[in-house]
Amino acid sequence: MNAVDNNRVVVTDLVKNYGSNEVLKGLNLTVKNNEVVCMIGPSGSGKSTFLRCLNKLEDPTKGKVVVDGFDISDKKTNMNKVRESIGMVFQHFNLFPNLTVLENVMLAPVELKKATKSVAEKEARQLLAEVGLAEKADASPASLSGGQEQRVAIARALAMHPDIMLFDEPTSALDPEMVGDVLDVMKKLAKQGMTMIVVTHEMGFAKEVADRVVFMADGHIMEEGDPQQIFDHPQNPRTQDFLRKVLNA
Amino acid sequence: MRKKIFWFALLCTTLFSALLVNATTSHAAEKTYTIGTDITYAPFDFQGSNGQYTGIDIDLIKAIAKEEHMKIQLKPVGFNAAVQAVEANQMDGVIAGMTITNARKQQFDFSDPYYYAGEVMAVAKNSKVKSLSDLRGKKVALKVGTQGAAYAKSLQKKYGFKITEFDQSNDMYNDVITGNSAAAFEDYPVMAYGIQNGIKLKIVTKPAQGGNYGFAVKKGENPELLAKFNKGLKALKKNGQYNKIIAKYLGKSSVAKATATAQKQDNSLWGLVKQNKSALGNGLLQTLYLTIISIVLATIFGVIIGLMQVVPAKWANWTSSTLIYIFRGMPLLVLALFIYIGVPNLTGNKISAFVAGIITLTLNEGAYTAAFVSGGITAVDGGQMEAARSLGLPYGKAMRRVILPQGIKIMIPSFINQFIITLKDTSILSVIGILELTQTGKIIIARNLQGFKVWTIVAIMYIVIITLLTWLSKAVERRINK
Repeated sequence: MNAVDNNRVVVTDLVKNYGSNEVLKGLNLTVKNNEVVCMIGPSGSGKSTFLRCLNKLEDPTKGKVVVDGFDISDKKTNMNKVRESIGMVFQHFNLFPNLTVLENVMLAPVELKKATKSVAEKEARQLLAEVGLAEKADASPASLSGGQEQRVAIARALAMHPDIMLFDEPTSALDPEMVGDVLDVMKKLAKQGMTMIVVTHEMGFAKEVADRVVFMADGHIMEEGDPQQIFDHPQNPRTQDFLRKVLNA
Repeated sequence: MRKKIFWFALLCTTLFSALLVNATTSHAAEKTYTIGTDITYAPFDFQGSNGQYTGIDIDLIKAIAKEEHMKIQLKPVGFNAAVQAVEANQMDGVIAGMTITNARKQQFDFSDPYYYAGEVMAVAKNSKVKSLSDLRGKKVALKVGTQGAAYAKSLQKKYGFKITEFDQSNDMYNDVITGNSAAAFEDYPVMAYGIQNGIKLKIVTKPAQGGNYGFAVKKGENPELLAKFNKGLKALKKNGQYNKIIAKYLGKSSVAKATATAQKQDNSLWGLVKQNKSALGNGLLQTLYLTIISIVLATIFGVIIGLMQVVPAKWANWTSSTLIYIFRGMPLLVLALFIYIGVPNLTGNKISAFVAGIITLTLNEGAYTAAFVSGGITAVDGGQMEAARSLGLPYGKAMRRVILPQGIKIMIPSFINQFIITLKDTSILSVIGILELTQTGKIIIARNLQGFKVWTIVAIMYIVIITLLTWLSKAVERRINK
C-alpha cells in the first residue's frame, strides 16, 4: 500500500533473455491503482514472460520493475513479502491436489500468519461463496471441473488480500462452456476496483472490462490505448494484422 | 530451509561420531586384547553344539591368557575377516590355524609354532581319484588364503588342474561331495577331524609340505602380547595342559565321542531348529537391529541428500550428486570391507563390525533413497511450486506443505522396496563377521554340515520377516494415502 504516486506497477526498460534468446526487448509500462490492463498479442510475443517478471517467477535480465513501491529488481528486496500482495492466477490453475478446496484457500493466510485458523476459514468460505462454489469447500480439487478449479484458484489468490491480481491466460485451458463463469468472476473483481493485469485471448472481455489494452509482439509493446482506440482504430500494422486474424476467425 | 538442512546434517554427523566414539573408548584402564579366530575350522575353531566357540585354538588361547593373567576378548569372525582386522588394527591378534609362511611374515609377527600340520588331498568317498596325477583337467576346491590353497597352487602347473576358491571350509567340502570339484586340499588334522565327524570325504595322500601354526599380531605391533603368548605356551607344554588340549580334540576317545554325538543328533528340519534356536534367535535379532537402525538412518540420510539434489543451491546439488554417485556406484560388499578395514587404517580409530555395518547400509541404501526422493520431488508438477511461491510462501514452507506431501505419495512404493532391500542386504555384512542370520547359518553348517536344511531354515526366516515388514509398510501406506 505504499504506492505514493498512485502507480501500482512501474516497469522501465525490462529485458529478459533465455541464454542468447531475447524474449523481452526493453519494455516500459505503468499501471495505476484500480486500473485493469489487458495484454493481447500472438503466442510467443512475451506476454506471459512479462507477467511472470512482475512477481519474479522469472528473473528480469535487465531493467527496473517496481511493484507496489518495492523495487523487485533489487536483490535485497524480500520477494516473499512482495508476493503476498500480488495474486496470480495460472493457465493450468495449479490447485494443490493434496489439500481440499477450503484448505487450498486457507493455506497461505494461515501459514503466513495473516489470520487465525478460524478467521481464515470464515474468510475462505466467504470467498468461495463469492466465486459460486460454497458447496465445494470440502471437495478435493480433482473432483472439480476446469472452470470450478480456476474459480477456486482466484479465491485462493484473493485470500491474501492482494493489491494487484495477475492473470496468465486464465481461460485458455478451459472448455468453452466454462469460460463464461470464470470471466464473470473477473468482471466482478474489476468492478470492485481491483488492479488487474490480464494476459488473454478473450477479445470480448478485453473490450468490455479493460481500462487499457496493450498489444505485444516480438518482445516489444507495439501499441497501447483504451479499448476503442485499439480495437476500432489500431494504428500499428502488426496490431491491425493480429486483430483481423483473431476477430474474423 | 538451508538452515534446516544444515542442522539435519549436523545431527547426523553427531550421531555417527557418537557411534564411532562409543566403539573406541575401550582403550582406557587395563588393556583387553581382541583376538580374532576362525569359525569353521574344526578342530581348531568351531562352534560347539551348545553355541559356544571351542577348539584347540580357543582352548589354547584361553589357557594362555589365564596363565599370563591377560584379559582377552575372542572375536569369532572367520579366517579372512580376522586376518584383515589385524592388518587394519581392528584386532590385536589372530589365532586361526594360521600357518607360518615367509609371505605372511611380511605382514605379521608370529609366535613360536604351537602345532605342526601337513597338507592332504581329500576326495569324495566314491571317487576314483587316488593321487595328484589323477587331477589333470579336473577342478579342485580350495579355501581362500589357507596353506592348503598355497600348496595346491604350487602343484597346479605340474598336475594341470583348475581351481575354485571358497570362503568357508564347508562350502569347499560340499563342492567336492557334490562332484563339482574332484578334490580339496586341507590341513591334515582338520580334514581328519571333519571326516570322523561325518564329512563324506576320504583322504588319499600323505601329509605333505607341512607347516607350523602360529599365533600372529600385526608386524611391529603388540610385542608384549606375542611375548606373553610364547611364555604361556611354554608353561602349558611343561605342565601337560597343552597335551590335554590336543588330546581332547584329536585323541582316540574324543573322536569316538564326537562321532557318537553326531549320530545321535536329530537332523530333521525341526530338530535342527530346536538345537540351534538360541543361535538362530540371536542371528535374527542382529539382522533385525541392523535392518531397523539402518532403515531409520538411511531414510534420514537419503531424504537430506535427496532434498539437497532439488534445492536451488549449486553447492548442495553438486554435493548430493557426488554422494549418490559414489555410494550407489560402489558394491555393498566393497563398501563394507572398505569401511571396516579401510577407515581404521586411515583414521587410526577402531570401529566395531556392527557400527561399520550400520554405516555401510546407511550410505548405500541412503544413496538409493536419495535418488528416488529427488525423483519423487521432481515428478511433482512445476506449477505447484510456482503457485505456492506466488502466494508468498517461502521455499521451505512451499516444499513442506505443497511439494513434499505430493512427492511422498510418489515415493512410498520405492520406500517399501528399499526397506526390503535393506533387510536382505544385511546378509552381505556377514563378510565383516557380524553374527547376523546368514553368518549364523554358515557357522551352524560348519558344525553340523547340514547345508541344505540349515539354508532352508534361514531362507524361511528371511521370508517371514520380509513378509511382516511388507505388511507393516503397506499398512502405513494405506494410512498415508487415506
